[in-house]
Amino acid sequence: MVDGKSSAGAGGSLASNPPAVSVRGLWKVYGPNPLSIVGSPDAKLSRSELRAKTGCTAAVSDVSFDVAPGEVFVVMGLSGSGKSTLIRCLTRLVEPTAGEIFLDGEDISKATPQRLRELRRQHFSMVFQHFGLLPHRKVIDNIAYPLEINGMKKTERHARANEVIELVGLHGYAHAFPEQLSGGMQQRVGLARALAVDPQVLFLDEPFSALDPLIRRDMQQEIIRLHRELGKTMVFITHDLSEAVKVGDRIAIMRDGAVVQIGTPEELVANPIDDYVANFVRDIAKSHVLTLRYLARPAQPGDDIDGPELAANIIIRDAAEIILQTHKPVRVIENGKVLGIVSSEDVLRLISGVA
Amino acid sequence: MIFSQRRRIATASIIAAGALVLAGCSSSVNDSAEGASAASECGTWAVAMHAWNGYTASAQVVAEVAKANGCTITQTTLEEAGVTYDAMEAGTIDLIIEDWGGGRWKEWVDRGSVVEVGDNGNIGLIGMYVPPWMAAKYPDILDSANLNKYADMFKTSDSGGKGAWYEGPPGYTTIGEKMISANKLNYKAISTGSEAALVDVLTKAEANKTPALAYFYTPGTLFIKIPGLEQSRVKFPANDWSDAAKASGLTDYPETALKKLASKKLMDSNSVFATIVKNFNWTNADQNSVSADIEGGMKPAEAANKWIAANPDKVKAWLGN
Amino acid sequence: MRHFKKSHLLIGVGLVWIAFSRIFQGDQTLELATSDNTAFTTSVGDVAASIRGNRTKSAAFIYFFNPIRAAINGFVEIIRSIISVPSGNSIIPVIGWFGVVAIVAFAVYATSKLRTALLAVSLLLACGALGMWQFTMDTLAMTLASVLLSLLFGIPLGIWAGLSDRVLKILTPFLDLAQILPTLVYLAPLALFFLIGTASATIATMVYSIPIAIRITAHAIRNLNQSPIEAALSMGSTPKQTLTKVQLPMAKQMIILGVNQTVMAALSFVVIAALIGAPGLGKPVVDALIIRNVGQGFVAGFAVVFVAILLDRSTSAAAKAQEGFIPMTSQQIQRGRIKRGLAGLAAIAAIFASRSVLSLAVWPGSINIAQQVEDVTNHVTKWVTTNLYIFTVGFKDFISNWVLNPIETLLAFSPWFVTLSAIVLIAAVIGGIRVAMLATGLLALIVLSGLWHEAMITLTQTIVATLLTMSIGIALGIWVGRSVRAERILRPFLDAGQTLPAFVYLIPMLGLFGPTRFTAIATGIVYSIPVVVKIVSEGIRAVPVAMIEAATVAGSTVRQIITKVQLPAAKKAILLATNQGMIFVLAVVVIGGFVGSGGLGYLVILGGSKPDLQGKGLVAGFAILLLGVTIDRIAQASARRT
Repeated sequence: MVDGKSSAGAGGSLASNPPAVSVRGLWKVYGPNPLSIVGSPDAKLSRSELRAKTGCTAAVSDVSFDVAPGEVFVVMGLSGSGKSTLIRCLTRLVEPTAGEIFLDGEDISKATPQRLRELRRQHFSMVFQHFGLLPHRKVIDNIAYPLEINGMKKTERHARANEVIELVGLHGYAHAFPEQLSGGMQQRVGLARALAVDPQVLFLDEPFSALDPLIRRDMQQEIIRLHRELGKTMVFITHDLSEAVKVGDRIAIMRDGAVVQIGTPEELVANPIDDYVANFVRDIAKSHVLTLRYLARPAQPGDDIDGPELAANIIIRDAAEIILQTHKPVRVIENGKVLGIVSSEDVLRLISGVA
Repeated sequence: MIFSQRRRIATASIIAAGALVLAGCSSSVNDSAEGASAASECGTWAVAMHAWNGYTASAQVVAEVAKANGCTITQTTLEEAGVTYDAMEAGTIDLIIEDWGGGRWKEWVDRGSVVEVGDNGNIGLIGMYVPPWMAAKYPDILDSANLNKYADMFKTSDSGGKGAWYEGPPGYTTIGEKMISANKLNYKAISTGSEAALVDVLTKAEANKTPALAYFYTPGTLFIKIPGLEQSRVKFPANDWSDAAKASGLTDYPETALKKLASKKLMDSNSVFATIVKNFNWTNADQNSVSADIEGGMKPAEAANKWIAANPDKVKAWLGN
Repeated sequence: MRHFKKSHLLIGVGLVWIAFSRIFQGDQTLELATSDNTAFTTSVGDVAASIRGNRTKSAAFIYFFNPIRAAINGFVEIIRSIISVPSGNSIIPVIGWFGVVAIVAFAVYATSKLRTALLAVSLLLACGALGMWQFTMDTLAMTLASVLLSLLFGIPLGIWAGLSDRVLKILTPFLDLAQILPTLVYLAPLALFFLIGTASATIATMVYSIPIAIRITAHAIRNLNQSPIEAALSMGSTPKQTLTKVQLPMAKQMIILGVNQTVMAALSFVVIAALIGAPGLGKPVVDALIIRNVGQGFVAGFAVVFVAILLDRSTSAAAKAQEGFIPMTSQQIQRGRIKRGLAGLAAIAAIFASRSVLSLAVWPGSINIAQQVEDVTNHVTKWVTTNLYIFTVGFKDFISNWVLNPIETLLAFSPWFVTLSAIVLIAAVIGGIRVAMLATGLLALIVLSGLWHEAMITLTQTIVATLLTMSIGIALGIWVGRSVRAERILRPFLDAGQTLPAFVYLIPMLGLFGPTRFTAIATGIVYSIPVVVKIVSEGIRAVPVAMIEAATVAGSTVRQIITKVQLPAAKKAILLATNQGMIFVLAVVVIGGFVGSGGLGYLVILGGSKPDLQGKGLVAGFAILLLGVTIDRIAQASARRT
């Protein structure tokens, strides 16, 4: 994993191809006359002020972002921050109050019920925190469910379900019932079901939050593997920053319904926009997130400048061994140019938290 | 398991359905059973069963005679009057063998659902009774004018400081409240639910030598069980009414010829049962002998058949022979 | 602080009430002689008479009521002719007793397990041995017919109410009413339209059991784990697909439990149904009440209990079989199929046998222990009533003089406006202004109906019976709630008390207390104690263990734990139990009209048989409804406000 994040673009900006998911000015307001809040001066109020003044709660407040094809976009926030409502607005399990949601250029928020069903059946699918499996169906029939409601014949859909069962590592469990499986295995079924229709976009709502820590780690690896193999665009909700950092190409941090900052893990750690974000990312081991770009500094007099070259987007942790074993500072290269140098002392200072 | 469960239920219901079909096709004990042909001649008829012993006696005797002549008889217990007339209109009841109400069935007769078949031979007489020990000890209590003098003795925890006047059950012909107010009696009418309750009140009063004033009537076997009860009737001025709803309350209950009522369906049929119903007629003594047997612990059918066996001529007359 | 004040207010209202009652004793009590009508009851009577008069003429009857009656009658008769009454020209039903036993055994075996099937068979045989075979079959046929019809309407409505908030909102008041309404009350209006017989009885049973089917189905749909439903929606399921492939399969077990409850409700109606001419086990019970044969009443009552256990166990076993989704191996499935196939063949053979061997077709008369059971019961009852009569009458007089009469004086013999104001004030203190306004409206309607005095008499009996029920019920509830052994000892009695028709013990009560108000009260107490004990003991058991441990560690005595921890913590359950107890008591107090308790129930019964009082009887039924809603709303408000 030396190449670390196959980021969709350096510096958090998107590559030139059109986004897979694009959200513009999305609102979800609960309470009386919710539309009147959107765009009004009240929208700037804090949650409790808004509630006191209008009786409304803005669960999602003016959210905009783009997700590139193949990107894993993580929405991260504490409970009550609106992230679950947000993902339900994206799939219209909750009707947004205002805003637009484009999926491959099509505005989902305007889709008719008929079209919405088509989109749900073919274009995107969702994985749930509590799995949402049908207790009365065997694993294979759970996975085949989306195909079944699409009208696929039994032999065909079972064949497809068996493929996905192999893909997610459920071999041998096709005829078990959900309640016979551990939580991790159940979520594999959830994943398999979501993958069965081969969607362009996968929405995952805190998929691993209900699992034990060890199993959670396995499942995180699993999602990384699946992403590598299938390259699906994913919108991934979590309240666990380390999980966000592990799986996400970019992370949006939410607070009180609004997005506070969007960026790569590196950007968030390196340049938190405010104290809230800074506080959030404080416990992250910087060396696990930051790349050499962050440490690269101009050579000082006395520095050796003939050390080995390393790419700027290598995560410090992965580069540490090389740097510490080399007795000269390494040269950080980006696009063929030297950005600067990184010495053993720089790395140690970062790891020990002095930097 | 859901599938296997569904399949289980499916198998079960298929087998059950199959069983029914097969059962329907197979020849059975029924076809050759005796009585089957006779039943089709007389038919199946429903007799209303009312809630007093004398009625049971009459109805059971009619039912046993009918059964012996090939009828299928069902007996359904119902409250008197309206409820039963409605049942006759609905076609669920065909016969009331003893009705005390003076013409309260008129509306149903007018609608063509009930037919008045005539007297059954019994004469009914309702009255208010005290236990014989009271009649012996306080002879003047039997004159209604003296009732107020003894009112205090009849007080109970339920009579609101007045004398307790145990009234007949809901369906019965009762004018107790009117009698109390018209005669300015210091009594309170307390509804009893059933003949059984009245029997209980009078029996306990006589046995424990406690006071009681209760509704009762003849024909009935209680007079046999409590000797002297029949003579312990409180006498009110002679009656001046036949329709209880129009009674003034100043006077006593009248003697009433008890009526037979039948469904139009029955009387229009040529069934043997219609003949039996038309001709049925017996005396208070006849009825009392059967009810006494029933009171004595005999099953109604047994008691009825005992009387039938002892009175072949009367039964023969009912059959029109 | 607030609570303290509330009780003071109540005492204040009580004292003022008593004072006014003393001053105006006997004035304006709105007493009405039993045989008298008011203008209102007369006009209701006229309406009833014109409805009766139109039965043969009006289109409503010819095209609506009569066809329904005919269809339901036909439906029940088909079932009866299969298992109960002679079919066609034959002298036995399509299937004789042996065949019926075999079918029941097979059906129970196929849907649950062998042990339940054996239990079912022995209970059926016991009914036969009690000489009640045909009545039992009639009851099964009636129950089956009304349950099928109830489910036919109840489950779809329940699903609809489960899916739509609006439908639930519309249905809820009706469901509440049906739960409050004493069963005796709707017999008369039904008989007016459907006359007396099987159809009325079936419809009355449906009125009683449909609300249960609707409620449980709606509850089952509403309380599903939402996560699979959301998942199904997110995959693009249509509402219909979500319902049929997700919601219904998940709700299945709960719905089958609803079927179980519907069956039990329908069965509990069997005796009442006999009052309007329905065939079945209710008939011998009513007969026994009328000729006062305690023994026969109990024999029939036992059969009712046996049928109740049979239906309860087999339907709840079927529900339990739905639990869990552990797959069987194909070998197990195969073996199960073979076993059931063999059992099915045996059942078919038994049906054939029951059609060709007379002794297997008609229950052999030689197997009949009814007489023995009757004799034993009669002896016991006779001994009890003769030897305990002095005590029971003493107790009755004590309660009548010191509790019943004072309360009756206060409620029924004060001027109506004094009682009405007092009740409204109590409602205001307990439940707030809205409940008070509701009570005012309902009570004013009772005044307008002209049956205020009778209503207050019924209310008095309800209150006294509830007081006694609660004092016994709470004590037993605490015992059962605290001790597993107590639960084990009392459980069978409580179960039997709930399934044994109240009519059955009305007869010995009559022997013990005579035709008095107290007979109805005592019957009401016996009838409602099981439900009170159940709710209270559940409330006691629901008190968190930590709370009791904390109190124990602090050195509390058992008595202190009960009075200072468990009872206060279970207060809500106790109030709920009071509410339920009152509704149960009201239902029986009304039946008390059969044994001399007077009041509204007596008028209802009277209206059934005396045509000139039919209007009054119908109005009395309506007044019972108003009274029931008043009681229920005030009691619920008090439970809500704690």
